[in-house]
Amino acid sequence: MKVTLNWLKNHVDFDWSPEELTERLTLLGLEVEGVKRLVGAFEGIVVAQVLSRDKHPNADKLSVCRVADGRGERQIVCGAQNFQPGDKVPLILPGASLPPKPGDKEPFVIKVGKIRGVESHGMMCSPAELGLPDAVDGLLILPPTATVGQPFAEFLGRAGSDVVYDLEVTPNRPDLNSVIGIAREIAALTGNSLRHPELTADPVAGAAPVVVRIDAPDLCPRYTARVIRGVRVGPSPDWLRSMLEKVGLRSINNVVDVSNYVMLETGQPLHTFDLRLIEPAVGVGGLPTLVIRRAAEGEMFTTLDGREHRLTPENLLIADSAKGIALAGVMGGLNTEIRDSTTDVLIESAYFTPTQIRRTSKALGLRTDASYRFERGADPNAVATAGRRCADLILATAGGIADGLPVDAWPTVAEAKTVVLRHEKVEALLGVAIPGVDQVGMLTRLGLALQPAEGDAPGSSRFSIPSWRVDLKREADLIEEIARLYGVDRIPSTPPRRATGAHPFDAVYDQLAEIRRQLAALGLNEAQGQTLINDGAARLIGVEPVLLANPLSSDMNALRPSLLPGLIDCLSHNLTRRNGEVQLFEIGRVFNRSGDAVVEGWRLAVALTGARNPLFWAGAERDVTCDISDLKGMVEEILEASGLRGVTYTRRTEATGLWIESAVVALGGKRVLGQLGQMQPVLAKRRDLRDPVFLAELDLDLILARRNPVRSFKPLPQFPSIRRDVAMIVPEGVTHEAVLEVVRQIKPANLESIDPFDVFRGRQVPAGQKSLAYALTYRAADRTLREDEVTPVHSRLVEGFRGSMGASIRE
Amino acid sequence: MSLLEQIESVKQAAVTELQSAEELPALERTKGAFLGAGGRFTALMKEMGSISKEERPAAGKAMNAAKLEIESALVQRRETLELKAALPAEPADFTLPGRRRRVGRLHPLSQVTDDIVRAFRRLGFAVADGPEIEDEYHCFDALNTPADHPARDAQDTFFVDAAGRPLLRTHTSSVQIRVMEKMPPPIRIIVPGRVYRRDNADATHNPTFHQIEGLYVDRNVTVGDLKGTVEAVFRDLLGSDVRLRFRPHYFSYTEPSLEIDFTNALVKKLGKDWLEIAGCGMVHPKVFETVGYDPEVWSGWAFGFGIERIAMLRYGITDIRLFYENDVRFLRQF
Repeated sequence: MKVTLNWLKNHVDFDWSPEELTERLTLLGLEVEGVKRLVGAFEGIVVAQVLSRDKHPNADKLSVCRVADGRGERQIVCGAQNFQPGDKVPLILPGASLPPKPGDKEPFVIKVGKIRGVESHGMMCSPAELGLPDAVDGLLILPPTATVGQPFAEFLGRAGSDVVYDLEVTPNRPDLNSVIGIAREIAALTGNSLRHPELTADPVAGAAPVVVRIDAPDLCPRYTARVIRGVRVGPSPDWLRSMLEKVGLRSINNVVDVSNYVMLETGQPLHTFDLRLIEPAVGVGGLPTLVIRRAAEGEMFTTLDGREHRLTPENLLIADSAKGIALAGVMGGLNTEIRDSTTDVLIESAYFTPTQIRRTSKALGLRTDASYRFERGADPNAVATAGRRCADLILATAGGIADGLPVDAWPTVAEAKTVVLRHEKVEALLGVAIPGVDQVGMLTRLGLALQPAEGDAPGSSRFSIPSWRVDLKREADLIEEIARLYGVDRIPSTPPRRATGAHPFDAVYDQLAEIRRQLAALGLNEAQGQTLINDGAARLIGVEPVLLANPLSSDMNALRPSLLPGLIDCLSHNLTRRNGEVQLFEIGRVFNRSGDAVVEGWRLAVALTGARNPLFWAGAERDVTCDISDLKGMVEEILEASGLRGVTYTRRTEATGLWIESAVVALGGKRVLGQLGQMQPVLAKRRDLRDPVFLAELDLDLILARRNPVRSFKPLPQFPSIRRDVAMIVPEGVTHEAVLEVVRQIKPANLESIDPFDVFRGRQVPAGQKSLAYALTYRAADRTLREDEVTPVHSRLVEGFRGSMGASIRE
Repeated sequence: MSLLEQIESVKQAAVTELQSAEELPALERTKGAFLGAGGRFTALMKEMGSISKEERPAAGKAMNAAKLEIESALVQRRETLELKAALPAEPADFTLPGRRRRVGRLHPLSQVTDDIVRAFRRLGFAVADGPEIEDEYHCFDALNTPADHPARDAQDTFFVDAAGRPLLRTHTSSVQIRVMEKMPPPIRIIVPGRVYRRDNADATHNPTFHQIEGLYVDRNVTVGDLKGTVEAVFRDLLGSDVRLRFRPHYFSYTEPSLEIDFTNALVKKLGKDWLEIAGCGMVHPKVFETVGYDPEVWSGWAFGFGIERIAMLRYGITDIRLFYENDVRFLRQF
């Protein structure tokens, strides 16, 4: 909503500066989104009267004058000769500048200065100096009727300076989509009275020139119509055109401009029809007849923007006996719009119910200033006065005469609502004591009226709610009004109170944060991916994703069933930007079907590609790229940090979908925790990923459910250990797990740990086989082990390897 | 030459030679040449047996003193040469970059969320959460948003193609309802989480973004409490020079509703007086009635703000999409 400072001042008095008004409106809840200063013509030039004229002591051709400027007297030194005391002239005050002339680089600013030793406080102007037609030599002498002190622009009827405010009106306050509505807020804040425009009284006798029939009172509770005959459609007067232009409306003609002006002034949308284009009804005395009815299914209607619409009974039409003539509350029809030849005008001022207008506006894609106001809720009680105001202004600007009685079809008048305010509740909610009498004063200044009723509790007041305040429904709403007028900035802040919240997720938040920190400590950067992804990308991981019913684009038409598609996208994004070392993790929610329902779950995923280490300038490791062991090491660290035991990694025998090689991670061999592996290089290459890509994803809900944060101390070993190494050649299919299984079966005494330290193929190792080397550490808790104790135990273990795995031991 | 003279002469030769050895092996060879089994000093010591009893004490004394002197010269020279040998072959260039073991970084949104959560927890708030897939009841109806309210426009909300046509929550306020349905008052929670709006991605919009919601319900909670808490948190978050302004606004689920603007040196630097940062208000009595709290007994406040916005302000990030691209050059800056 745009409004200007001068327009507001037509309706309420206030002496705030433009900046102060911005601040006041904002703190009232009317956020000022923009302020534009309009510099008017002849800024700083007023009508003045010469009181006396004396010769300049030091110059023959100059005179020294005393001049009244409407506020006081000034001394002016003047060189013109064509004036005498009593003449009224334009006077430019110090600080103001003359209208710029072609070729001027900078405006000519008038200053207080001495002319031949005598001070001059301003300058009386000639027509040439003001850029006006040059009829005289010397000062511009104004008619004696000119008012001293009046801005010269106003005297000439030109636009003065003004300030345009662009206000954000919240949807609960439709009444603020009007100048009067905003002025009312200012009136309530200042205590000054609100000025409504003066209206001509409607005639009380006569006949109505039109017939109005409301067929859909549920959609149109009130409809008024007035007729003016003999108007001359033409350009609007300057004041009207300039006011509309200031707030961003285009001037069309005097009749249409008036209806727009009154809408902005009162908030009530109006529509004007060319009466002669409205079909008279048969049998109602031949009078033009307006029917407010639902459109027929498939009824075609062309709005005045030239667009044709196919309507349904959802849409409300204003129709004559033959055709639709306006889409109620949204836009008029092309067939009856005001044109240059129009002489007889029908003014519609009506109230339409918000929901219907919103549906129609949305369904047809038509948003207008009228529909905007109706769909938020207009004021049914303002309908007649706005129509009267519109008629007055049309008569004043386009001439004509009002014809007959206005029609006011208002089948059911709604009763004013009342709301009770318990005065002590104000302090209870706001935290500041405001005397009851002040509370009443604030609310009545907003237009609420005290309306005591039998049985109202002491300490409370009952108010009737004005019809324009659709948002005031209950006590809390009234308390908000009091808070606004009192000023939220004046409510003292009280320190946070002691109390502790609780929620089961509180602990989970910390657990997630801790895992995040651990992953970062492993060198991974945290990613935050899109929740919405492409369904094809989602299917990569072999799951049918949950789709959106109304996606914005096919890029984002599915809910992620896994974090991996998003992370793969992030890898691609980085690689195409030549970030060669990309190691990411993400913790986030995924969405999967479970029967009919969609379930959300927390996941953790890791993605690695490219260089293992940051760029360095020496050493063998510098060119190494990540491999599957980098990934597995990270997964192990995280699961170990969560205290999970009995985690197994089972290689999938086949390449599947996303993976060229992968393993299932499980707990106790059963509960699946997730998977890890290497992405299909063909798929990777399609995404510009040339180095091997390693991915892991784990079920974070399961990790958190099974996590074991309990740590207990094991005493540090007191006695030295004995290390024995064993190297063996085994068939390719023998896994580390198989080696451990042999150890578990043989249970060698005092074996503390068994760690692989070399795995290799080739050289002297036959094809299809590999060499495994282990370090075995033996230690007794209570004494120093002797070599001869270890030797037989170790030999038995080596024999076990040889026997059960077909290992040949390398001596 | 008497034995004493010989001792003196050999000693001097040994010390001179030891001191002039240029390398450790040469030093060890010199040591051998004097003190070794066939060494010159060793040979003199063997002569002790053949001298007279009268001469022996003086000779023995001289011999010991000479030996100590030689050994001391040896130790000294050895240390010098060892030090020399340990000198690096080439000087280290301390200006070359070191070998880095990368420490990963937390996403800036995680860091900002953690900071916000920390600030609230100091005041006794607990973190809560709720589903991202919501129903209309929790997202709108229970929050007093009427069926035809513009905020419920299907234009702005994603719906899920599943039974019951659930939606992706448009704000974290839905969790207010879920928590109040389950827990009796008093309530003191914050809810960080993802929310969804059907906006095309641009510099200031992403269909997915993060909000944090605060809800406090107790007896006699006032607007004053709301202001005090919000001020405490934002001072914690944005620095003690931050100034806040509360201005009336409209949300369907609070009454009064306020918007919060803040300003500090940074805002001034951006050429603005105030920047809008959050919405808040006193919980609407209708919301309490909906979840079965008696609005005559309980009052409370709620507020919410966008985490991306705070992060963008804090770090001077001008494009929201950077948060979701996860370019490592971006992530490593935080």
